[in-house]
Amino acid sequence: MTSKNLKVDIGGITLNNPVMTASGTFGYGKEFESFVDLNRIGAIIVKGLSLKPSKGNSPPRIIETPSGMLNAIGLENIGIETFITGKLPALKDFETPVFVNIYGTTIDEYAALADRIQDVDGISGMEVNISCPNVKAGGIAFGVDCRAAADVVRAVRLKTSKPLMVKLSPNVTDIVEIAKSVEDAGADSISLINTITGMLIDIETRKPKLANITGGLSGPAIKPVALRMVWQVARAVKVPVIGIGGICSAEDALEFFIAGATAVQVGTANFINPRATLDILEGIEGYLETRQIKDIGELIGSIRS
Amino acid sequence: MTIQETATVLWNHSINTEYAHIGLACGAGYADARPGQFVTLRLPDRSTPLLRRPFSIHRKISANNETTGIEILYKIVGSFTRTLSLAKEGDRIDLLGPLGHGFSISEQHRKISLVAGGIGIAPLVFLYDALKESGVSFSESAVFIGGRTQTDILCKSVFSSSNIKQFITTEDGSEGEAGMLTAPLSRWLKSHRPDMIYACGSMPMLKAVIAIARLEHVFCEVSVETMMACGIGACLGCAIQTNMDSEKYRHVCVDGPVFNAEELIEG
Repeated sequence: MTSKNLKVDIGGITLNNPVMTASGTFGYGKEFESFVDLNRIGAIIVKGLSLKPSKGNSPPRIIETPSGMLNAIGLENIGIETFITGKLPALKDFETPVFVNIYGTTIDEYAALADRIQDVDGISGMEVNISCPNVKAGGIAFGVDCRAAADVVRAVRLKTSKPLMVKLSPNVTDIVEIAKSVEDAGADSISLINTITGMLIDIETRKPKLANITGGLSGPAIKPVALRMVWQVARAVKVPVIGIGGICSAEDALEFFIAGATAVQVGTANFINPRATLDILEGIEGYLETRQIKDIGELIGSIRS
Repeated sequence: MTIQETATVLWNHSINTEYAHIGLACGAGYADARPGQFVTLRLPDRSTPLLRRPFSIHRKISANNETTGIEILYKIVGSFTRTLSLAKEGDRIDLLGPLGHGFSISEQHRKISLVAGGIGIAPLVFLYDALKESGVSFSESAVFIGGRTQTDILCKSVFSSSNIKQFITTEDGSEGEAGMLTAPLSRWLKSHRPDMIYACGSMPMLKAVIAIARLEHVFCEVSVETMMACGIGACLGCAIQTNMDSEKYRHVCVDGPVFNAEELIEG
């Protein structure tokens, strides 16, 4: 094997490889320890955290759809304090950078979370979630408006020098506008896409299949949409773009690199195959090897017309 | 220890038009598997259906006192189980387990009632095997097997290996007593006091059994089923409200699938 460079700079931090886990699909990391060598993952992004623990939505919360799944977990989480004292210590045993995904219901809450995380050892960066479709009072409210999105990012930026990734919603008219505004507000990188809002109805009972009525669609079904948006955003911003959306194989990930993503996040695939991240990483290595590509950087944004 | 492995199909037999059982050769990880624990399966090289599917461990397969595999009893209900029913000897299946918390087996609980609705019999056979191994005589124990119709009455012969009393009910009266299994269960409890009721079946059935157990002040454990994606406590999709803590949901995959009946909210 010739030596290949898989290292990528995603804005303020260099990862050993470009395969990360998507928030909400990898628990707090430890859940996957029996299945994956956590040291080999590019970065772990943990389940979205709020200042206080959150109960989440009523069940049923998930349902399978053709080539995808619809979820309305509602950001159930243990809260930032319990994460720092109870979950983070176990993650410190690994070399993998840990990003904390944060969400609030007000700009002040986002700022308070960033402030709390700023000096915590073992947290490499944060991903600001302004795009959860399943929480009425927060998340998405900031992600669909350029000014609100920028206000959140600016408030977080003031509190932190750690790498700041902002996760965008696809449920907008023009994702490029939102991307530009969060870049201007100080984001170090932009991750996209979060889930696409959807719903299902049981025709016997005529009730929605999810208690929350609507949920977020993920999985292979959304990959083409995600790829299109990543391509659009990568052309429009200077900061690194992280591709998310239905990535289940190395081939899927490679499409995102070619479209302009500097790194990718693997989400729903973790549920189907807990070893998905490493299978994808090994597939990427194999692709580079066969084509004598020495640096993953050569692929990024290499789309041809 | 939970592991993901490629299991080989030993055999796959249909029982009747709706039910089948499959034997899977797997690693030594299942030697310590407990009754009530489950596994998730994924059919290789297929992206539809997308998610893994959870199945109770029905029995352990042993050779020379070593666990060499597991048996899964399944109902053919959708595209996953239809495809599973076509698996042949030697085929490979992605197996992840053992998962979750199983039934508790205690020296104090020697008089047992097993209550199974339809495919709910699956984990109770493993439990019966384990209870037998732990020295339960079953002379004052009973098994209640209920279903909509005769096709749903499974595993009767398993219980002939002891003197456990068998009660069978079908809603259409095609086998055993016509009606629900709660009827013979209630009658049994009038003259017998089990140390423990173990139940597995649909949620309405479990609620009825829990109500009876509470009324008669008998310990009861139930195995519940919900929609589930990861099976390992990551997706939080399998939330269930218990009365342990109103501020928190518990999760069937890691906190269950077996719960103490007292934990489950009535209604």
